[in-house]
Order: sequence, then C-alpha cells, then structure tokens
Amino acid sequence: MQLLNTLLSGLTLGAVYAAFALALVLIWRSTRIVNFAQAPMAMVTTLLALELIDAGYSYWVAGAVALFAGLVLGAAVEFLLIRRVDQSSEINPVILTLGLFVALHAAAAIIFSSQFRSFPAPFSIRGLEVGGTTFGIGPADLFAIGAVVVTMGLLVLLFRFTDVGLKMRASAFNQEVAKLLGVRVGSMLTLGWALAAVVGSLSGLLIAGGGLVHPGYMDPVVVYGFVAAVLGGLDSPVGAVVGGLVLGLSLSLVSGYVGSQLVPLAALVILMLLLTLKPAGLFSQAQARRV
Amino acid sequence: MTHLDPRRRRGARAVRLGSLTAAATALTLGLAACGAGADRESSTEESGGATETGVTEDSIKIGAHFPLTGVAAPGYSEIPTGAKAYFDYVNENGGVYDRQIEYLVEDDGYNPSNTSRVTDQLVLEDEIFAMVGGLGTPTHSAVIDFLNQEQVPDMFVSSGALAWGEDPETNPYTFSWQPDYEIEGKIIGQYIAENMPDAKVGLFLQDDDFGDDGEAGVRQYIDDQIVESVRYTSGNTDVGPQIAALQASGADLVLGFNVPSYTALSQLTAQQLGYEPDWYYSNVGSDPALVGSLLEQFSEGAVDGGGALDGVMTSEYIPGTDQPDDPWVQLWQEVWDASGEEGELTNYRIYGMSQAYAFTQALMATGPDLTRDGLVETVEEIGADLGGPPLAPFRFSADSHMGISGVRIVELQGNDTEELTPVLVTDIGDAPIEEESSGSADDAPPESGIPEEG
Repeated sequence: MQLLNTLLSGLTLGAVYAAFALALVLIWRSTRIVNFAQAPMAMVTTLLALELIDAGYSYWVAGAVALFAGLVLGAAVEFLLIRRVDQSSEINPVILTLGLFVALHAAAAIIFSSQFRSFPAPFSIRGLEVGGTTFGIGPADLFAIGAVVVTMGLLVLLFRFTDVGLKMRASAFNQEVAKLLGVRVGSMLTLGWALAAVVGSLSGLLIAGGGLVHPGYMDPVVVYGFVAAVLGGLDSPVGAVVGGLVLGLSLSLVSGYVGSQLVPLAALVILMLLLTLKPAGLFSQAQARRV
Repeated sequence: MTHLDPRRRRGARAVRLGSLTAAATALTLGLAACGAGADRESSTEESGGATETGVTEDSIKIGAHFPLTGVAAPGYSEIPTGAKAYFDYVNENGGVYDRQIEYLVEDDGYNPSNTSRVTDQLVLEDEIFAMVGGLGTPTHSAVIDFLNQEQVPDMFVSSGALAWGEDPETNPYTFSWQPDYEIEGKIIGQYIAENMPDAKVGLFLQDDDFGDDGEAGVRQYIDDQIVESVRYTSGNTDVGPQIAALQASGADLVLGFNVPSYTALSQLTAQQLGYEPDWYYSNVGSDPALVGSLLEQFSEGAVDGGGALDGVMTSEYIPGTDQPDDPWVQLWQEVWDASGEEGELTNYRIYGMSQAYAFTQALMATGPDLTRDGLVETVEEIGADLGGPPLAPFRFSADSHMGISGVRIVELQGNDTEELTPVLVTDIGDAPIEEESSGSADDAPPESGIPEEG
C-alpha cells in the first residue's frame, strides 16, 4: 500500500513536471531558445488567477483568464524583449530569459506579496476510496494527468499535421530558408512563445492546485522540469511527458524509501547518466551524420 | 558550426544547457560571497574607547536575520514586526538609559548562504552592537561561529536547537531563548507514555537539528511506541511519500517537529491519503490562525472549516492570543495598537515582543555603561531570575545558555486552547521533568510596560 501510494504520488508529480517540460519543448521546437523565465511567467499568471478566485470568480473563469494572460505575456515577451536582443549569439536571448526570471520574481513579490497562500483545486483533492481503502490519487490529480495528456496530444497534432505547425518548425529550423519559402518567420516566433506560455500557465495552474503558492513556488519545478525535458530530448512532446513521469516516479521512490534530502541529487544523477549514455535524450531520433 | 547537421547541433545545445545552469549557479554563489571582506572601521577607536561598537550616547544599534520571503516566511516574517513594535514602544517612553534602540532586520529567505551575507553586512557594515532574535536552525548555524569570533552578543536565537546554549565555552556570546526542542520532546514524550500508552507513534521531522533534537527528547520516554520516523527536506513541498510511509506503518498518533507551512502540507497530504491519526505539532509549527489561513481555500469541502487544527495537541511557553485577559497579552495588545502597523496581534508578533522584552530587560540590568561583555555577564548572572512573560524561568548561567526551561501541553480548539498539563520544567539530558513551582507564570508586567532599570 505504501509502495502504491508512493507511486501514485509520483505519477501526479510526474504529470506536473511533464506539463512544465511540454512548455519548454514547445518553445524549443518553435524558436530554439531555452526559456528560463518559463516558471516565473507561469507563476505570475497563476497568482493572477488566485486574485480572481479570491474576488469570487469560479476556478474555471480564473483558469481561462490565466491561460489567456499567458498567451499575451508570451507574445509580449517575444515581441518586446527577445526580438530586440542581438541574435548573433544564441546565448544572448537565453541570458535575457534569466534576467526576466529575476525581474518577474521581484515584480510578483511587490504586486501579489510574498505570502504563502492556498490555491484551490477544481475537484476534490481527497483520494479515491475503493472498498474502504483510500488511494493516494484523487479527482484533482486525475484532472491534472488528463490535462497533460490532452495537451501533449494537441501539440503532436499541431506540429505534425497542421500548416502552422510546419511553418513554426521551419522558422525555428532555419530562418533564412523559411523566409525564402514565404514563411512569416517573425509571426511564427511570436506565436511559438505565446503558445508555449499558454502551456506554461497551464502547468502553473496544475502545480498550484491543492497546494500552496507564493512567488517562488515554481522554482523547484524549474530544475525538475528541465531534467524531464532533457530526458525526453527537448524536442519531443511525447518524450517530455514520458521524461516527466519517469522522473516523478523515480524521485517519489527516492523520497519515500531512501530519503527526501537525496531527491535533488537523484535528479542530477539521472540527468548525468542520461547525458552520458544518450546525450540527445531518450526520444531523440537517430542522428544522421554528414561525412 | 554551419557544416554540422542541425540535428547534431541540437544535441550539442542540450549538453550546453547543463553547463549554462552550472555557470548561473556559480554566478549566484560568487555574488553571495562578495558580501564578505568589506572594509571595516572600528567606531570604538574613533570615539576614544568610551563606547562600545553600535552604542552611542543616544542610540543602540541591533540587528536580526529573518525569513521575510520563502518557505519559512509564513508566520515567522511577523516576528520582527512584533519586536519592532515593542522597541518603538520603549523608544517612545524614553528608551534605555536615554538611548533609542535602532532595530535592523534583514531578509535571509531561510537560506543559510543568505544568512551569512546579511550577517556580514549587519556586523561589518552596519556595526551592530548585538544580534537579537536571528531566526532558524539551519540559517543561524551558518553564522554562530562568525558572531562569536567577532564577539558580537548573539542574544536569544529564534530557534529551539541545542547548539545555541549547551556549550557556552565554545559559543560564549550566544544565548537561546525559547524552550529547546529536546525538552519539548521529553515533555510530550512523557505525556504520551502516561496518558496514551497504547498509541502507535509516528514522527514527522524536519531533516536537521530541529527534527533530531525533538526526536532525541521523545525517544527518551516512548522509544518502544515509535513505529515510524520520516524526515522532510525544507524546500521540497511534496511530502506525499513521507505521509504514505507513516500511514503504512499504522501510526495512529503523529508528532510533527516542523515549520508552519509543513503543518499545512502534512494536513493536506493526509487528507489526500485518507489518513486520520491524532496529531501533535511542536510549538513552532502549530499556530492555528496561521495554518487555518494557509488552508483557507480548502475550508469548504476538503478540509473542515473553522479550526483547521481542532483536536491537535501542541505546547505553550508564553501567554498567547488565546488568553486575551492575561496581563501580558493586554500589554502586547496595547503595544501593537500603539505601533499603528497593519494587521492583527498574532502569536508570532507576541513571540517577537516577548523576545524584545527579554532583551530590554537585559539592557536595563546591564546598566548605563553598556558593553558587549557586560551584557553577556549580566545575562549569565541574573538571567535565571529575569521573570517576564515566559511561563517557566530561563536556565541562563555561566555553565548554560539554554533558554526557557519548560512548556505545558495543550489541545487546540479553534483559536482557543485547553490545558492538558500544568507547566512542566526540565533540562537537556536525563534531567527529570517536574511541575513548575517558581510562579513564573504569575509574573505580571510592570505598570509602565517597560522593565525597570537594574
């Protein structure tokens, strides 16, 4: 029973990492940038949702507003900031997102206060009861897992079966060629950021549900979300979800049976092993080498 | 790089991510380290040796580190607001021997590397006379050596770890204040052994001296009743595996030595798992008003409304908001109202005020010729007889810098408490537990609300 509940708790945790990793994959696939500001962006939209909930709006209204705010915020960050930096070195926009990380943290502490507050879940957080035994997974957790799976499906559809998805991939892959082929690269990059921020906001809401939020509540997820995304190869939505679940389950087992102080260490060991054995991630396609 | 297949570049980028993260970490650490080594001027020499560092004709500068942000901020960030309100009250009424108390508070976010940085700043740049009430076991551990090396009085650490007071030879300038976690563990341990001999006990511990000291005390009395002991790491908010282990062990009484946000998290997770044992939370983690507000969003449905901690046991060592008729609480209410600060009088603010009161007592008793060594000697000499709000006397002497000597066990009902035991006093190690008999709980505050000159 302890093993089962530990695994179930890891499954929920894994879904959360997966959601965050999906946002990273999305932005990587559509712009080739690693967005360190993903977590604080999601934190800001989630705290906005909490303000609305405190003001008496329903969870769903507040959640929709948070997702829309994510869309706007993502587009604005790309259009007003990322686009303006010198793109000749790939590292410049990445460093910019690090700066944004700090700035958003500080701004959120000023606007929303740095107090801990509880964030409601859309469904009961109580575990499901079957024949008098309570399992460590409840309707709210199932909702989170379902939302992640649906999002993953939508992303696969977008990239694989739509024109827009193809254009986004083309813009990210090689801007020059894409431009020559008539793709409006600028709009595609903005769209990529906007969609990634929507998925990021969703992950923020899912992580917050049934827990405590404050300006730093996403920070641990940054590390594990990155590990999950890298596990999956940074390029594959399915890989991100599998990476998230693998990480969530492993860390939950480590926390329950070895010691919670070893959780960050375990995550890094997993990351090191993977980067050593399969540097491009579990789900990377076979690499063609040009000779 | 253009000659490479783009897919290959992608792999290279994924690797580079790791080194980038490492670089960012190194940068942060580098920045943190820059706090040290600042120029230091000695105001003692400048003023011809007549006064002590941080003390002038008309002022005494003191400092403290508190978590104003981060995982330990709920509740604890209110402590310095209470202390400040009391120091302001003292200043309004003429100060201490005509000196105004200047109280500087720095945020360390409950992160030891920040604590080192802000303490450097307080001691070397701001040149405080003393550290007063610096909070936290892991955080204060990072600066205790530095403060003693610099011979800065480190009065009344806001933590119940043994390290502050058990070894005055090593740390002659550091003093505890609240009852240590070991005697709290002993007293609840004895209560369980006598009143709940059939309980199967689980321990929920913070993974540092806080949990260790509490566990050592508890095990002195009920080692054979403990069926499981789990530890959480501060900062990791997922306690699912820990609570699942407690549930699986069949523990029907869980003793928590944890900070308030983990009280809320453990309650939430237990609800999730359908786990309903009896709970005891150590005094520092058990404020019903705070935990109630943390669980506010769950008050309908998942967690029962009103007192989120109804029926939970905890311990008390100073009068709190549950006793509005107590003369000390009436004084604190007056002080808080006079401060004009926002918010209500909470138990955390009362903690800050009680601590500030003890420090003011020590200053008054030291007299007008204030020196760091003089303050330390005074507290060692008369500390055990200071009186004041604590329900049990301090243990201060030349051989011990341990703080308040006892607690009473209570049960929470809403914001009220029901006493389960009288005030019980003991000491670390195998000292026996006895009923408090010095009448410490009956001390009333002086008319002026300010301790008398010594």
